Amino acid sequence: MKSATLEFDALAAAVGALPETALSASRQSALEQLRRRGMPGVREEDWKYTDVSTLVDITNTWLASGARVAAAAAAEPAAGIDADWFTIVNGQFDEAQLQTLPEGVTVERLSSNVSALPSLGRLGELNTALLHDGLKISVDKGVVLERPIGLLLFDQADDGASVSQVRVDIELAPSSSAAFIEHQVSGGDSDLYANVAIRLALGDNASADYVRIQDRGPQHSQTGYHGIELGCDARLRQASFDLGGKLVRDDLVVNIAHPGAEAEFGGLYLVGDGQHVDNHTRVDHRVGPAVSRQEYRGILAGKARGVWNGKAIVHEGADGTDAEQSNHNLLLSQSAEINAKPELEIYADDVKCSHGTTVGQLDENALYYLRTRGLDIDEARQALTRAFAHAIVGRSPIEQLEEFLLGEIDRRLRDLLREDVA
Amino acid sequence: MLQIKDIHASIGGSEILRGLSLDVAAGEVHAIMGPNGSGKSTLAQVVAGHSDYEVTAGSVTYKDIDLLELEPEERAREGIFLGFQYPVEIPGVNNAVLLRSALNAKRKHQGLEEIDAFEFLKLAKEKMAMLGMDPKFLNRGVNEGFSGGEKKRNEILQMAMLEPSLAILDETDSGLDIDALRAVAEGVNTLRSPDRAIVLVTHYQRLLDYVEPDQVHVLSEGRIVRSGDKSLALELEDKGYDWVREAANG
Repeated sequence: MKSATLEFDALAAAVGALPETALSASRQSALEQLRRRGMPGVREEDWKYTDVSTLVDITNTWLASGARVAAAAAAEPAAGIDADWFTIVNGQFDEAQLQTLPEGVTVERLSSNVSALPSLGRLGELNTALLHDGLKISVDKGVVLERPIGLLLFDQADDGASVSQVRVDIELAPSSSAAFIEHQVSGGDSDLYANVAIRLALGDNASADYVRIQDRGPQHSQTGYHGIELGCDARLRQASFDLGGKLVRDDLVVNIAHPGAEAEFGGLYLVGDGQHVDNHTRVDHRVGPAVSRQEYRGILAGKARGVWNGKAIVHEGADGTDAEQSNHNLLLSQSAEINAKPELEIYADDVKCSHGTTVGQLDENALYYLRTRGLDIDEARQALTRAFAHAIVGRSPIEQLEEFLLGEIDRRLRDLLREDVA
Repeated sequence: MLQIKDIHASIGGSEILRGLSLDVAAGEVHAIMGPNGSGKSTLAQVVAGHSDYEVTAGSVTYKDIDLLELEPEERAREGIFLGFQYPVEIPGVNNAVLLRSALNAKRKHQGLEEIDAFEFLKLAKEKMAMLGMDPKFLNRGVNEGFSGGEKKRNEILQMAMLEPSLAILDETDSGLDIDALRAVAEGVNTLRSPDRAIVLVTHYQRLLDYVEPDQVHVLSEGRIVRSGDKSLALELEDKGYDWVREAANG
């Protein structure tokens, strides 16, 4: 398969036209990297099942039309979720919202805080090169936040192709604790490619809860990269929910370089006809003892395509590592497809590692049992499918999101079950 | 209530029921006994509507309805209840939610209003008390992590809530300790009424000490080979199933 190539001259012009800030040097070096390495292609092991050609096409179309960023449209945070929200619209954010903050939290523009941006994944260079500006969120030492911090990532794609870059750098100082909600939504009927790069660094003994909810429109694609660093005894609890989108790729990369760290993460992807959702995870256990646990579940209908790739690397000397990964998939149709791949690489001796992957259909015995109790076939299928999905909601760390998530999941599942019957 | 006429049924191409006929009238309790592999469970599944079993000949009529034309859920809504020999564990589907959905599916079919949450809970707790079940079972996944006895009590709880016209209990008594057996019997006896029929499929006579049947049938090789009153069950217990096989073949 021929991979599409970025139009570099147009890209360089777009990068050159961005306002001159402290990020300019980073942009130029990212551009050079991008010129050298290109975009990821299906020949690369990590991108084998996810072809980003369509994203390159959208980007080229957007560049050819002048790389315009639509004026910030209004966006409302998800109803009923109580959080301190920051809204990023088409990759841009309003200065004013940086003022009202809970005590112990600082939010700055990345351009006023950081000069060199670290690389965040294979698409991080595109992100850096085209970045207007990003957010830097810092939680002070010992601060325990009561309300979650919300990141509403909203894109509006109305007139022609639209491309946006979102970058957030979060640092939790030692012994602090905070919860984050990343909610991705989008509107409009044009093609959209949103590229999100988030770094989350936890100091010693810090703890973070992080929930990512991706509910973009059926025409809209996104790639995301979450780079996580854990200090001594730091604790991450994360859950990810892919409900919408056209081509979706998320990388969750956890670096454990300090003992005592714990990372629990996972997610649910509900994928229907015309959608491609890819969750890639990588945990580097560089020292022990430390714990990583992940559980992803997927429900796929119609001609859906799903990918789960969970990699755990236990480096030499990382004794006392406890790594567990599981991935379960429910295929509601014959033509849905999942590529599920657990990868454990172990170079230490004293470790506890396990993985399990399943791909299956609804349990016929359970369906029959429910029908003998008077539930019709659709109700029975829905009950079993919901039960499968709800298990992930049960392990999501931010309790107040539960009702919202259950509602959104049920809404999406009804679509998928209908799609499958149609 | 239930008329089964000369049915033949097979699963995966092998014939299990070979010309079985049975009449169960309203108000009666029938016990179906027989050795393993005689077709007892097949009979129960055919009446409940399991799609793996193919009925190749004969008829099953329930309240003048041709039962073989109905889906399992339609049969349930018409008032048929099957107590499973091996109740299925369904993690994540809440026991209370299933009970309420089942009850409301039936009520809707009867043109009745859905039961409200308060009434439902009151009724469920009342039935659970009768069966010696802890109310906390309501909030667990259906049969999830239940012991054998707890699963069977849960089947009886569903039956007690749904108040079926025809209940078929497939070896509900097997593997139960004496307390659980008494609870099951209590559930069955409470359901007994002039407008209901109950079919107890059982391998052992023990349950019949607590639930007195009107008729006892002995199944062998897919046919009823002997019918009688409750004394037949005792005779069977005494002489063993070989006696029936010999009688059937001789």
